[in-house]
Amino acid sequence: MSFAEQAPVLLVIIPLLSALLVNMVGLINRRYCLPVAVTGILGSLTASVITLIRVMENGVISYRLGGWPPPFGIEYVIDHLNGLVLVTISFVSLLAVIFSKESIKKELPEKIPQFYTLFVLLVTGLLGMTVTGDAFNLYVLLEISALTGYALIAMGDNRALVASFNYIILGTIGASFYLLGVGHLYIMTGSLNMGDLLTILPRLYTLNVVFIALLLILTGTWIKMAFFPMHGWLPNAYTYAPSAAGCLVAPLVTKVSVYIMIRIMLSVFSPLYVYNIAGLSETIVWMAVIAILSGSILALAQTDFKKMLTYLIVAEVGYMVGGAWLASSAGLTGAILHIVNDALMTLCLFIFAGIVIYKRGGHQLQDLAGLYKKMPVTMAAFTVGALSMIGVPPTAGFFSKWYLILGAIDAGRYHFMAALLFSSLVNAILFFRVIEIAYFEPKIDHHGGETENIVVDEAPLSMLVPLIIVALSLIVIGLYSGDIVTNIIQHSVPQGL
Amino acid sequence: MPSIISDYNYWIYILLMMIGLYAMLAKNNLVKKVIGMSIFQTAIIIFYVSISAKEHATIPIIAHHGAAEAAIDVAHYANPLPHVLMLTAIVVSVGTLGVALALCLGIYRRYNSLEEDEIQEQLQ
Amino acid sequence: MIWQLDLSILTLIVICAFATIMVKDLLSAAIIFGAYSFLMCLLWTEMGAVDVAFTEASVGAGVSTVLFIAAVYQTTRKVGVRKSGRLLSKAVALVATLLTGLVLLIAEADFPDFANPFTPASLHLSPYYIMQTLHDTNVPNIVTSVLADYRGFDTMFETAVIFTAGLAVIAILRRFKKEDRCDLPEPYVISEAHPDTIIRFIARQLVPFIQLFALYVVAHGHHSPGGGFQGGVIFGASFILLAISYDFKMVLGIMSERWNILLGNIGVLIYAGIGFLCLLLGANFLDYSVLSKVLPATDKIMARSHGMLGIEIGVAIAVLAIVISIYFNIVSRGKYDKGL
Repeated sequence: MSFAEQAPVLLVIIPLLSALLVNMVGLINRRYCLPVAVTGILGSLTASVITLIRVMENGVISYRLGGWPPPFGIEYVIDHLNGLVLVTISFVSLLAVIFSKESIKKELPEKIPQFYTLFVLLVTGLLGMTVTGDAFNLYVLLEISALTGYALIAMGDNRALVASFNYIILGTIGASFYLLGVGHLYIMTGSLNMGDLLTILPRLYTLNVVFIALLLILTGTWIKMAFFPMHGWLPNAYTYAPSAAGCLVAPLVTKVSVYIMIRIMLSVFSPLYVYNIAGLSETIVWMAVIAILSGSILALAQTDFKKMLTYLIVAEVGYMVGGAWLASSAGLTGAILHIVNDALMTLCLFIFAGIVIYKRGGHQLQDLAGLYKKMPVTMAAFTVGALSMIGVPPTAGFFSKWYLILGAIDAGRYHFMAALLFSSLVNAILFFRVIEIAYFEPKIDHHGGETENIVVDEAPLSMLVPLIIVALSLIVIGLYSGDIVTNIIQHSVPQGL
Repeated sequence: MPSIISDYNYWIYILLMMIGLYAMLAKNNLVKKVIGMSIFQTAIIIFYVSISAKEHATIPIIAHHGAAEAAIDVAHYANPLPHVLMLTAIVVSVGTLGVALALCLGIYRRYNSLEEDEIQEQLQ
Repeated sequence: MIWQLDLSILTLIVICAFATIMVKDLLSAAIIFGAYSFLMCLLWTEMGAVDVAFTEASVGAGVSTVLFIAAVYQTTRKVGVRKSGRLLSKAVALVATLLTGLVLLIAEADFPDFANPFTPASLHLSPYYIMQTLHDTNVPNIVTSVLADYRGFDTMFETAVIFTAGLAVIAILRRFKKEDRCDLPEPYVISEAHPDTIIRFIARQLVPFIQLFALYVVAHGHHSPGGGFQGGVIFGASFILLAISYDFKMVLGIMSERWNILLGNIGVLIYAGIGFLCLLLGANFLDYSVLSKVLPATDKIMARSHGMLGIEIGVAIAVLAIVISIYFNIVSRGKYDKGL
C-alpha cells in the first residue's frame, strides 16, 4: 500500500493524530507543541498535493473506508474541485500556524497546548469536510470544525466570550438545518452517499420535499458562511478572536462552507435541478447583490481595522454565492477560483492585522499610523493583498473578479456585475484610506526641528515569512490563473451551462 | 393505524423544533437559549428515529443468534441506520451543550449577569 | 409500536418543553429538562430504538442535567425580569420560527407513512445491514455493527467531537493563576462541615456496582443494547456521583486533571491507532478484516468483531475521561479548588 494510494485518508488522519500528540506533548513541555503541529499540517499538505496530482492524472479518485463499497460504507471522493480546495486549506493552515508562534506567546501564554490542539483539530475538520463523499460524515466533521472554532474564538479578549456565544447559537442552528435537510433526503431515498443520492433523486424532482431539503441545506450552509442576512455572528467573532486563531478561521471556515454549498449543488442535486427546476437563481443572485452592497457599505463605516476586514469577508461571500448561482460556467469558474483567492487574500490581511496587534497593541485604524516607515516589508506585502482585494492585475483577485463579471454578463444579470464593480470601488476607497493613515506618522512633538530618525522595527521573522509567502503566492496564482482554470477548474464545471 | 396518527409524530417534531428555535432566538436569558438549543436538537432526533420505526417490528438485534440459517425477515426489525446517525447526533449535542454552558459560565464571571440585554448594556 | 402510548408520551414531551422554556427559575428549568430527556428515552424505547434510548438516558437525562445544575449552581438561579424594547426582536424571531414550521409542514405532506415497513428508507440500505451483519461481522446487534464497522469512520470523528468538547471547555474556563481579579464571590456557601453520612454511605456502596455495570455495557455491546459511549458515560457518572456526595477535592485526588487529559487522548488514539494499524497491514483505513493477520486464531469475520470491541474500549476510555473533565471544569469554574 503506497503513500499515494492512502493519501486521501492520510491527509485527515495525520492532523488528527498530531493533534492528539500535541495535547500529550503539552503535558510534558509546551515548547514541543508548535513543532508537532507544524509537522502534522506539513504531512497533510504533502498528502493533499499528491492527491491533487493523482486526480489531475487519473481523474476522480474514490477511497473506501473500512473496505466497504459505497453506499454501504463511507466513501471519500476526490475530484478536481475538492482536490484544489484541499491544497488551499493545508497551505493556508501551514502559513497560519507558522505565524502563530510569536502571536500566541504574547496573547495566550498559559493555554498553548490547548490552542494548538484545537488549531490542528480545526484543520482536520476542514479537510475532512472537503474530502468526504457522504452527507452525514460531512455533518460530523462540520461539528468538529464548529466546536473548535467556538473555543478558539472564545479564547480571545473580553468581548470574545459573548461573540462566541452568539456564534454557537447561530452555528448550531445552521448545522442542525443541514442535518434536517439530509434527513429529508434520507426519508425519501434511503441513502446518505452523495453519488447514490445523485442517481436516486431525479425521479423525485417534482416533489416539494426535495426542494425543501435543498432549501434547508442551503440555509444551513448560508448561516455557516455568514451570507447576508445571517452574517450577524461573524464581525464580532472574528474581530475579538486571538490573532492566530483569526488567521486560520477567517480565511478558511467560510470558504469551506461555500465549497459545501457548491458540492451539494453539483454532486447531490444535479446542475439540471439546481439551475433549471428549482427556480432559485434569480432570488439568490439578488440576495448576493444585497450581501455585497451591505458588506461593503458597513465596512466603510468602521473605525476598527479588523472589523472592517470582517465586513469585507461578508461581501466576498456574496461574490462566491452569486457567482455559483449565476447558472453560467464563467460564473461558477469565478466562484471556485475565488475560493482559493479569497482564502489567500484574507490570510494576507489577517496576518497583517495580527502583526499590527503584536506591535501596536490594538486594531483600530489609528493604530496603523506611521507603519510605512517602521515596517516597510510588512506594508509592501499588505499592499499586494489590498490590490488583490480591489482587483488589480496581475494579482489573483483581478482574475476571479474577471470571471465573475464575465459570468454575470453571460447570464444577463447586470445588477450582479454592477455590485461587483461597486464593491471594487469601495475596496479601493477603504484600502487607500488605510494606506494613507499608514503613510503619515502620528503627531509627535518636534523639538527644535531636527529630522527624526525612524527606526525600522520589522515584525518578527516567524510572522514576516508567512506574510511574504502569501503575498508572493497572490501574484503567482494570479499569473497562473489561466493554467489553474484550464487544468483544474474546468473539469469541475459541468458542460452546457 | 389511522392516518392522522401517522402524521402526529411528524407534527410534534415540527412543534418541538419551533419551540426550540423560538427559545434560541427570542429568550433573553443565556441558559434558556441553551435549553432551547437542546430541545431543537432533540426534535431532529425524534424526526430521524420516526423514520426508522416500523409497525410490529422489534429492536434491531438479531434474535436468532445460534440458530444457523434462520431466515431474517427485514420487516421484523426496526431500521438500524437512523439509530446509528442519532447516536452520533446525541453525542454531538452533549458536546455542544458542554461548550455552551462553559461559555455561559465565562460570561457570568465577566459581566455578572446571564441576561442578554444587561450584557449588551455593559458592552456599550 | 403502541400508538396510544406513543401519543401520550409525545404530548407529555411537548408539555415539558413548554414548561422548561417558560419557568422563571433556572434550577427548575434544569430539572424539567431532565424529565424531558427521560420522556424522550421512553419514546424511543417504545419505537424500538433501544441503543438511542440508552445513550439519551445516560448522556441526555444523566450527564446533561448534571451539567445544567452545576452551571446554574455556579451562576444564578434567577431569570431576569423582562425589560421593554425587545418586542421587535421577539417579533422577528416569531416570524422566522413560524416560517420554518410552515416550510417543514409542507415537506411533511410528502413523507411516506409513519411506521410503514416499506418506505424507501427501509428498503434501500438497511436490508443489507440487517441481513448481512451476522455473516460479515458475527455481531447480532445491528446498530453496533453499523456504528463500529460499516460506518466506523463516523464514530471515530464522533469520539473526536467529544474529545474536542472536553478540550474546548478546558480552553474556555480553565484558570491557572491563583489570583483572578475578575472573580466573583461564591454564589452559595459550600458547607464542608456536614458530611451527610447516609448519602456518602450509599454512594460508596453503589459506585463499584455502577462501574461493573459500565464495563458490562461496554463488553456486551455486541449482543445487547450498549457499547462504548453508554459504558463510558456510566463509568464517568460514577465518579461524578462520588464528587457530589463526598468532596470535589477527594475525587480530584483519585482522578487528577493530568490523568483525565491523558486518558482522553489515549482513548481517541486507540481508535485511530487501530484504524492506522489496518493501514499498515495493507488494507484501507479501519478495515478490521486484515487484523486477522496479527490476532491469533481469528478469521476475517471474527477479526471484525474483535476490531469493533477494541474501538469500543477506546471510545469508552475517551468518553469516561472527558465527561469527568467537563464536569470538573464547570463545577469548579475552571479553578479546580472547590466544587459541588
